[in-house]
Amino acid sequence: MLDILHDYGLILLIGEYPHGPLGGLAMTLILAAAALLLSFPLAVLVGIGRTSPIRLVSRLAGLYANTVRGLPLLLLVFWSYFAVPMLFGKSINASLVMLVALVIYESAYLGEIVKAGIQALPRGQTEAARTLGMGYWTTLRKVILPQALFNMIPSMMNQFVVVVKNTSLAYVIGVDELTNAAYQVNSQLLTKPFEVYALLAMTYFVVCFALSRAVAALEQRIARTRRSRPA
Amino acid sequence: MLEFINVHKSYGNTPVLKGISETVASGEVVVVCGPSGSGKSTLIRTVNRLEEIDRGSIRVAGQDVHQPGRDINALRAGIGFVFQQFNLFPHRSVLDNVMMAPTTVRGMPRAEARERAHALLERVGLAHKAQAFPTELSGGQQQRVAIARTLAMEPPLILFDEPTSALDPEMVGEVLAVMKDLARQGMTMVCVTHEMGFAREVADRVWFIDAGQVLERATPEDFFHRPQHPRAQKFLSDTRH
Amino acid sequence: MKDLLLANPDYQTLLAHGLWVTVKLFVTSWILAMLLAALLTAVRSTSSRLGQALVALFVEYHRNVPGLVQIFVWYFGVPQLLPREVQRWINHHDGEFFFSCIALTLYAAAYMSEDLRSGLRSLPRGQVEAARSLGMSYRQTLQHILLPQALRAALPPLVNQTLALFKATSLAMTVGVADVMHATRQIENETYRTFEAFLMVSVVYVLLSWLIMGAGAYASRRFSSARN
Repeated sequence: MLDILHDYGLILLIGEYPHGPLGGLAMTLILAAAALLLSFPLAVLVGIGRTSPIRLVSRLAGLYANTVRGLPLLLLVFWSYFAVPMLFGKSINASLVMLVALVIYESAYLGEIVKAGIQALPRGQTEAARTLGMGYWTTLRKVILPQALFNMIPSMMNQFVVVVKNTSLAYVIGVDELTNAAYQVNSQLLTKPFEVYALLAMTYFVVCFALSRAVAALEQRIARTRRSRPA
Repeated sequence: MLEFINVHKSYGNTPVLKGISETVASGEVVVVCGPSGSGKSTLIRTVNRLEEIDRGSIRVAGQDVHQPGRDINALRAGIGFVFQQFNLFPHRSVLDNVMMAPTTVRGMPRAEARERAHALLERVGLAHKAQAFPTELSGGQQQRVAIARTLAMEPPLILFDEPTSALDPEMVGEVLAVMKDLARQGMTMVCVTHEMGFAREVADRVWFIDAGQVLERATPEDFFHRPQHPRAQKFLSDTRH
Repeated sequence: MKDLLLANPDYQTLLAHGLWVTVKLFVTSWILAMLLAALLTAVRSTSSRLGQALVALFVEYHRNVPGLVQIFVWYFGVPQLLPREVQRWINHHDGEFFFSCIALTLYAAAYMSEDLRSGLRSLPRGQVEAARSLGMSYRQTLQHILLPQALRAALPPLVNQTLALFKATSLAMTVGVADVMHATRQIENETYRTFEAFLMVSVVYVLLSWLIMGAGAYASRRFSSARN
């Protein structure tokens, strides 16, 4: 396995670059980060919608979230592959197609996290703000969201690890990320599929494990700041 | 029936039991009392090895409980234990709770176990609650079921770890009534309790424990009216209202 | 209305067959995963350091490697390690399904054992003490007292895991398992009526997902009420 790493390591890491677009693990991480960042505002909207006092809004947001969560990511990828070029009227880069699928998928799951964060705050916070005369949106903006989002940072970081794993589905539509890179390496070697795919698994393991450990450390830091803050 | 022979125990560097040597005869009822932190709970928890000891030995019906290689399950089946927090199994009915040990530990056929369970629930006054679940019962009722559950194994010795301390005052009486009944029927009992009325009525002896040692052992009559040890005197005057 | 894809009997059979494979894959993996998860949790709660370490390793691997990659490792990689006769036998007996099932089972079992483990930790210590005081052995305590209660406590995350497993079965199509997703792609390739085909399978997935979520909610209500 070490010789595979030696010969093909660069392809797995960054794909065809600089002779072609960026690929491999680098692409995986870029996709994941972009997906999480872009889905964040959408997720906040979904979370606010789910906790809205207006029944129609919360029902609609709930319908959206529960529908997206009822679909496999693979199906969303196929939908995106079909719908996005159609909407833009021209062929779209597969990475962007994957990004759209990931953003929609994450908006539902991240939205759940935001909703949980908002609901976890003691009701006294809202009551205090409203008693001071702040309206619904001001309360949300200045009191609820800052606290809820801060408390949910560890959960959101955990979602990053989930998204990194989800990017592997980009292989299905031909995006040149890590799993695809391994597939190509295997197509060249042909006689050592176990080594190649074991190496692939181990790469994901190292990356995701390291990320979750970092998140756990961050979680401890946040817990400490929360404890030292006066009520 | 029960012997403590020079029992020592420490939690890390803090000694909790310092050389306890006592005996309980068959059919005797002993009440163990003392200030909190005195080690009284720890003491009875060492008898069925919920706690380990560092030195000395404990014998139940002649058998060394802490000897390495002992079949601890067989030993525990012969020692009853009633917890302060009742610890009934919430996912099974009251009847199942009482039946569970005889069927799983002793392999008793279910029909026989059921009959026995009904009889025991009758004895503690809860036959009508056989199909209920623990969470539907009051604290006093739960503790009575817990006693029935212990009796199902027909142990020759029952240990009580502050059985009424977690109960609302109006329910203490119903549990003590069951315990007094057991005592009068000749059960060997060691009870850690604050209920002095119970001690006066049915105990054969009272042990006063403080800081890991039995400082005084006397009949209830002697203990309550003529305490010898200064700390026992202080304890009694502190707890008298 | 006659023009509807769904009205075509050929495609009906394709979809139905695909759905059957999806359900078969899901149910088989789920049952095996629950059993394996119970076993893993039991091993992890013993005092064996080796057992705990092995289970921890198993769990960490399956939680940090994507499901798709796990299926690839089993389907593309593992046959290389097996003797030729075994490879041939497996290929004759629906190799894609076989390996996908193994991969999905292990994947789900890892998560489920973690859920069971937190369920176990949430139980008050008095339960173990009461059971042991009655003379029950450790195995009996686990079987009659701890696991049943841990299962009830872990019901919500286990239901989520069940849902995740159901959706993960779609990944098997990438190695050729003829599940409902595979059938949809086939129909789409033949008819070019992509929107209709995708809409159909989306409805199927959403309805079944909601069914699972509903069953989970029902189970939670029914079993949690027996506790408090």
